[in-house]
Amino acid sequence: MGFLKSIILLAACVPLSAQWPKALPPGVPRTPDGKPNLSAPAPKNPDGKPDLSGLWQAASGKYLQNLAADGVQVPVLPWADAFFKKIQASEGAGRPQERCLPHGIPDYDALPMPIKIVQTPKNIVILYEAYNHFRQVFMDSRSLPKDAQPTWMGYSIGKWEGDTLVVDSNGFNDQTWIDDGGHPHTEALHITERFRRVDFGHIELQLIVDDAKTYTKPWGATLRLNLLPDDEIIENICENEKDFAHIVGK
Amino acid sequence: MIGLMFAGAIACAPAQWLNQRDPRIPRTKDGKPNLSAPAPRAANGKPDLSGIWKVDGTPRPEMERLFAFLGGFEVPGDDPLTFNKYFINIMADFKPEDDPIRPEFGPLMKQHGRNAKDTPTTLCLPMGMPWVHGLPEPFKIVQTPGLTVMVYESERTRQIFTDGRKHPSDPDPSWLGYSVGNWEKDTLVVDTIGFNDRTWLDAIGHPHSESLHVVERFRRRDFGHMDLQVTFEDPKVYTKPVTVNYTQTLLPDTDLLEYVCTENERSRAHLPNP
Repeated sequence: MGFLKSIILLAACVPLSAQWPKALPPGVPRTPDGKPNLSAPAPKNPDGKPDLSGLWQAASGKYLQNLAADGVQVPVLPWADAFFKKIQASEGAGRPQERCLPHGIPDYDALPMPIKIVQTPKNIVILYEAYNHFRQVFMDSRSLPKDAQPTWMGYSIGKWEGDTLVVDSNGFNDQTWIDDGGHPHTEALHITERFRRVDFGHIELQLIVDDAKTYTKPWGATLRLNLLPDDEIIENICENEKDFAHIVGK
Repeated sequence: MIGLMFAGAIACAPAQWLNQRDPRIPRTKDGKPNLSAPAPRAANGKPDLSGIWKVDGTPRPEMERLFAFLGGFEVPGDDPLTFNKYFINIMADFKPEDDPIRPEFGPLMKQHGRNAKDTPTTLCLPMGMPWVHGLPEPFKIVQTPGLTVMVYESERTRQIFTDGRKHPSDPDPSWLGYSVGNWEKDTLVVDTIGFNDRTWLDAIGHPHSESLHVVERFRRRDFGHMDLQVTFEDPKVYTKPVTVNYTQTLLPDTDLLEYVCTENERSRAHLPNP
């Protein structure tokens, strides 16, 4: 797990605390002592759907390091197996974030840095603290594009299945990795994310990776996202390669 | 300056995810968006500023008069004479001798103007405010109760807190600052402090300090048009506050494209450094 070292170095560049005030947003249920009641029921919107809005963060960093951290056998094709092993052997050298390039999906979900979900009926915007990137999930019943221009964050549409938000994405370029461990993908990548806000303070997020040019069948993991109450995203601008010289790797 | 134009040229790219018909847009009988229909309202009765907007360019004759030297930098699809004048020079309304920059900051500005390699955007760094308001690229406003988000096609994301909070007393200096918004009748007034001193106010390199204070007044005049008045002050660098006015036009039935300033500084080696 030598590549961990490079991750730790990169993570150290992130501001650890901020003077931005702890603003107490209205609508947060509280226990009698004033603390947020994270096990209260999930809030609903006027349209009856769960409201996922809020500041969230992956509960564990292990899925960022390896989406198969729970021991799932990754159904990897030979070229991808070789790529993954090369990355592992080189302690993660070449990771796109060395060069301030975006995380993709799903590793943005698994990254233990805050994300903010801003939900409106026809469009959900997700703001990522890391690099201040954003992503849109279109909720207006449109279809996925058939021949999308490849992008870092892909093209995402969402729909509700009961109380679960199901987000389908395609149109990715092949420049990102599935996780920091180096599971690769091609432009054929299709990601399904199933967000279920189980209570006020927790989202269960099922990730399914489908890329027939890299994996023989879909695989993935189920993550937990924790609400960060009374907190806020801070700015994070990645300054060109200034860390690059300090990153370990072979 | 030259470098800026080159950098801008990289941003233009077509994509298939444009041309998405938006059922919420009022239309004329022939099906075209009716941009002079009344501005929509949010559930709380305030104007809903949500949509995709782009700043209007300054009329060409005025641009030619102000910036004749720009004609030589035209590249196909990216003619700087179609830009907004404040993108080039935030003090375009002043005679050069009346520029309110304090004399001691003149050399810094000259240095900015000389060295295109150090333009923050050629380093993939944020453009900041108010420079970004002159940028001829789309941005999207997503207005929700308590929070308005502005996402820029080629800038970073901005949050404007409209939940009644105040500015922090000693904010961390940041590229885009800390913004709180309040409604004055039908105008959203956004007050921003907490900037770092690393952005420029315009392409010719007007500098600023961490004391920069920006007030933006957004008024959606009708469905398709927004008046934006920006007043900024920075007493350490400028002798007086400066106010500039922009018009933004709605871009209907379309969306933002992804723009990632990739592969840091690869363009930089090709920029002139006279």
